[in-house]
Amino acid sequence: MTGWGVLKSLWVTFKHLVVTYIEDLRYGKRRYFTPEGVEARRSSDVRGIFTVQYPEEKLPVPEAFRYLPFLVYEEGPNGEKQMRCTSCGICAKVCPPQCIWIVRRNDPQTGRPIPAPAAFYIDVDICMNCGFCAEFCPFDAIKMDHDYEIASYNRLSEHIYDLEKLAKPVSYYASIRPTDYALEEAARAQKGDAKKAGSTAG
Amino acid sequence: MSEKEITEMTTPGYEIPPELRHQVTITTLERIYNWGRANSLWPMMFGLACCAIEMIATAASRYDLARFGMEVMRPSPRQSDVLIVSGTVTKKMVPQIVRLYNQMAEPRYVIAMGACASGGGPFKEGYNVVSGIDKFIPVDVYIPGCPPTPQALLNGLIALQKKIERQSLRDLPWYQKGAAEPIPIPVLGPDLMDPRKYALIREVTRRQATQAQEGEVSNE
Repeated sequence: MTGWGVLKSLWVTFKHLVVTYIEDLRYGKRRYFTPEGVEARRSSDVRGIFTVQYPEEKLPVPEAFRYLPFLVYEEGPNGEKQMRCTSCGICAKVCPPQCIWIVRRNDPQTGRPIPAPAAFYIDVDICMNCGFCAEFCPFDAIKMDHDYEIASYNRLSEHIYDLEKLAKPVSYYASIRPTDYALEEAARAQKGDAKKAGSTAG
Repeated sequence: MSEKEITEMTTPGYEIPPELRHQVTITTLERIYNWGRANSLWPMMFGLACCAIEMIATAASRYDLARFGMEVMRPSPRQSDVLIVSGTVTKKMVPQIVRLYNQMAEPRYVIAMGACASGGGPFKEGYNVVSGIDKFIPVDVYIPGCPPTPQALLNGLIALQKKIERQSLRDLPWYQKGAAEPIPIPVLGPDLMDPRKYALIREVTRRQATQAQEGEVSNE
């Protein structure tokens, strides 16, 4: 029969509409704009509407989610930023599209290089969010961010991220990737213990 | 609309007497017009590469563009307001994109979605890729990411709406007198050529030719 398929598909839409109201009556206000509501609506056996009302409620990103890279710094006792980056340049070498530019810092008195970056640029218009830099960094200094709300009106002034824009504290890293952070801290503690044991034995 | 948005829209600098508050509201024509424009942006159904998959996901019911008044993706440039350049822009595709942009009715907006459309992305040095669509058509909002997630695209679309709401009708190009000049369509030969740069190209070739001639003369 002509139009039977159209009717069948409209019936599916109509069922969705009705079920949405039934679910709204059953669960009430906690279905919308609450974390558990979002969690319930994103599951595969959701009934009724499953739209995430984006600016008001956000779908939580998985821990391994990666967007743009950022540089981790430790907060010193007086609030100064101690960059973990040593400007070794491994990230710049492994970066497939070559979007990282690092300038090594020199000691102003002796003129010899010191392990810290004087400048660090990432062109986010080239970066392909592969995460190789974070994977290869031997000092856990560069990590992949979760922040995706970075639309801008001018790419020439805003899309070259410098040291100022890239630097984020360790506490932020620990908050977005708790599992990775815990593993890294455990490994570092173990390494420190081994070193201590080695120095006492030697 | 939220309370904040209403106060933003209804405060054009006139004092409403206290006894008339919540009964009378004052706004400017510009604000109400911009509000209408910003909330009826229809994107073009136009995808280029992997970013297009995310754009499709944004239009589907999980994220649902229609909540922002973007209703449906229009399959014709005549009916659409926003051109979402979603993906790698190859040199072969640029003439078509510029043509589509010229065919769009004004007011028209362009969103460069993802690294490739904004600045060439990982293919920036490629022989066949344009490093940024803004070399050819004016771009309003850039969304970094490779590819931007649906929520990042929605964030960019909201940024575009905010931009439109702040615009002044007096200095927008499409409310001026006279017809708009279409953007000359790039020519794809051995390499891509922008017709706006003919004078420069001619100058460079002429200089090179004279240099070659002088070289021949000195060799003799």
